[in-house]
Amino acid sequence: MDRRSVVKGLLIFAGGAVMLPSCVLDESKASIPLDNLDVSEGQEQLLAQLVETIIPATDTPGGKAMGLHLFTLKMVDDCHGKEDREVFMKGMDAFDELAKKQAGDSFTKLSPAEQRDVVAAVNEGKASEEVLGFYAILKGETIKGYLNSELVMTKLRVYELVPGRYDAYYPVNKEQIS
Amino acid sequence: MANLNIDSVKQRTYDAIVIGSGISGGWAAKELTEKGLKTLVLERGREVKHNRDYPTTNMMPYEFDHRGEVPLEIREKEPVVSRCYAFREDAMHFFVKDSEHPYVQEKPFDWIRGYQVGGKSLLWARQTQRWSDLDFDGPARDGFAVDWPIRYKDLAPWYSYVEKFAGISGNNDGLAELPDGDFLPAYPLNSVEDYFKQKLKANYGNRHVISARCAHLSKPNQVHLDQGRGQCQNRTLCQRGCPFGGYFSSNSSTLPWAERTGNMTLLPFSVVESVIYDEKAGKATGVRVIDANTKEATEYYAKVIFVNAAALNTNHILLNSTSSRFPNGLGNDSGVLGKYVAFHNYRARISAEYDGLLEYATDGRNPAGGGYIPRFRNLHKQETDFLRGYAAGFSANRYKGEDRSGFGEDLKRQLLNPSWSNWKVGSHMMGETIPKEENYVSLSADKKDAWGIPQLNISVGYDDNDEKMVKDYIEQMTEMFTKAGFTNIRANDSKQAPGLDIHEMGGVRMGHDPKTSMLNKYNQLHACQNVFVTDGACMTSTSTQNPSLTYMALAARAVDYAVSELKKGNLS
Repeated sequence: MDRRSVVKGLLIFAGGAVMLPSCVLDESKASIPLDNLDVSEGQEQLLAQLVETIIPATDTPGGKAMGLHLFTLKMVDDCHGKEDREVFMKGMDAFDELAKKQAGDSFTKLSPAEQRDVVAAVNEGKASEEVLGFYAILKGETIKGYLNSELVMTKLRVYELVPGRYDAYYPVNKEQIS
Repeated sequence: MANLNIDSVKQRTYDAIVIGSGISGGWAAKELTEKGLKTLVLERGREVKHNRDYPTTNMMPYEFDHRGEVPLEIREKEPVVSRCYAFREDAMHFFVKDSEHPYVQEKPFDWIRGYQVGGKSLLWARQTQRWSDLDFDGPARDGFAVDWPIRYKDLAPWYSYVEKFAGISGNNDGLAELPDGDFLPAYPLNSVEDYFKQKLKANYGNRHVISARCAHLSKPNQVHLDQGRGQCQNRTLCQRGCPFGGYFSSNSSTLPWAERTGNMTLLPFSVVESVIYDEKAGKATGVRVIDANTKEATEYYAKVIFVNAAALNTNHILLNSTSSRFPNGLGNDSGVLGKYVAFHNYRARISAEYDGLLEYATDGRNPAGGGYIPRFRNLHKQETDFLRGYAAGFSANRYKGEDRSGFGEDLKRQLLNPSWSNWKVGSHMMGETIPKEENYVSLSADKKDAWGIPQLNISVGYDDNDEKMVKDYIEQMTEMFTKAGFTNIRANDSKQAPGLDIHEMGGVRMGHDPKTSMLNKYNQLHACQNVFVTDGACMTSTSTQNPSLTYMALAARAVDYAVSELKKGNLS
């Protein structure tokens, strides 16, 4: 029996009209079906906030509105091995612990500036191996989801399905070279 | 009842049967039907109609759930096919899953298969080079296998014939080791590919980089338009099936052409169990087919049978076609059926970088993939401690890459403002392997497939010659790259199992002598003359060229001979 059914069962058992403490609400499941990961609604919110910090909304949408946290969950659930999945889940908890330690509260409860400070440290490699393992998977999938999104591929960095040409000596400006 | 039965037999009788609808079966079907023969084409997989059955062909990358990646569950369940470079989310549906079609690996062998109308012609890498006499002469000169019963002059007109129809892009490069052909305009080499070509010529003289010759319509002729095909649009998404018919496949070319004659009957879901041999008549009379879905058995009859099931499957069918005349498989008086299987050695690759010619990049995509280095080792005489040699791919690319180091608005800016990388160059080897008796396939004594047919047992491995060749390729390419000023050179021996090259050949080899070979110079079984084999199974040796073009030419040539023999009454 999965946790969602257990919570549902509790509600029915208690006659329905109960105020649920927030810790039980946190145990609600992620909003997409997952086969291998056991992700709570609270963790999904953490991921949503985190991808928004990695790719924020500017004049174009950010990671949360683009659903990159859900894409990441799907990829980790379907395409990553058991070891990666464990790193991801353990590291996610460790990441939130780091936020509490560094900024005094769960990541989702921090201000955007505080969230950026937490991520800045992790992005520079200043965190435990557990946190860095999680962050590497998350950032990798977030970037993959972003670059392979309809928005980016049709508007921001256009992907040509049908190029219809091959120029073997395409001139490049010096400025374009990194 | 008797009359009904006669009618039923009549309905199941054709002039010709072709087993398999892949690249060589498609050609046999086209040639037979064009010559007026009522032809039954049997395909064990499902129908794949050009365009109608290319479900992913126009999908954008973001329309794939995993953006192209194969989910882990599938990779774990289907480990062999998952090792194939083209087994990705966009083309998974065109590959055989290991779990559905098991086989026995006496030695590791990654058998990559495509069971559908069109077979692997939907999925192939489309590289097409002619053989020369330096290839046909190989076994005789170097003393392995048996002498090929044909030479270049026998096949040259048929190469032209299939090139004109299929549409092969390439240059006439004037090389003895890679004969010129009837080509559409080549896809040009880019600046660094040209640069490497010049460096090789200056440093070695006899080592060449040419535009890869490939089965793409760079500039279609009327015969291609007549097939309903159009110019290649440089999508390089070929493995999905091409909506433009830009590359050659049975589905886009030979099968619709055969269908238009009104002489073709195509039966998907038809697993050929065996070829039926009539002892009294002294010839094959038809084939026994098991319906892939209902598993019901039906016999079909014809005057002439072409076995084009794909190299190892053709061996499988012939091994399973036993009679008191041929207890060890059809036409197998010599005992060589299933033996002398060979393949191409693709184990080594090398990569490097180049910081020159940064004023150029490329735009659009090159369906030919870049350059091709024809075999240069042991070409005219033996000069190394291993037999034969290798061809190699060579390509140079620059990517628009992005810095991914930041986060937040910085990262977003980085991702949306990519810059050109330096040049990345790469090469992979395509080595000739020596056919040997101990590299064989046979029928499993105890394991059967879902259709009650003994599973194929595969026992094919590398030998010392292959190891030496891998070493030489890495040494020589490293030297060539170094002399060209390439940096960060990295060579790798993947040690991949045979099979992953998808160039398995032999087992039903051609030869002069019925005592040591299965097929004569017209791909006709020495001992059962109305059965022809013109797929990879017929290959006496492998040389280094991508083999499909040669199968096409052999198939067209063999049909021409078979029909002329039929007309003379020699096959009935």
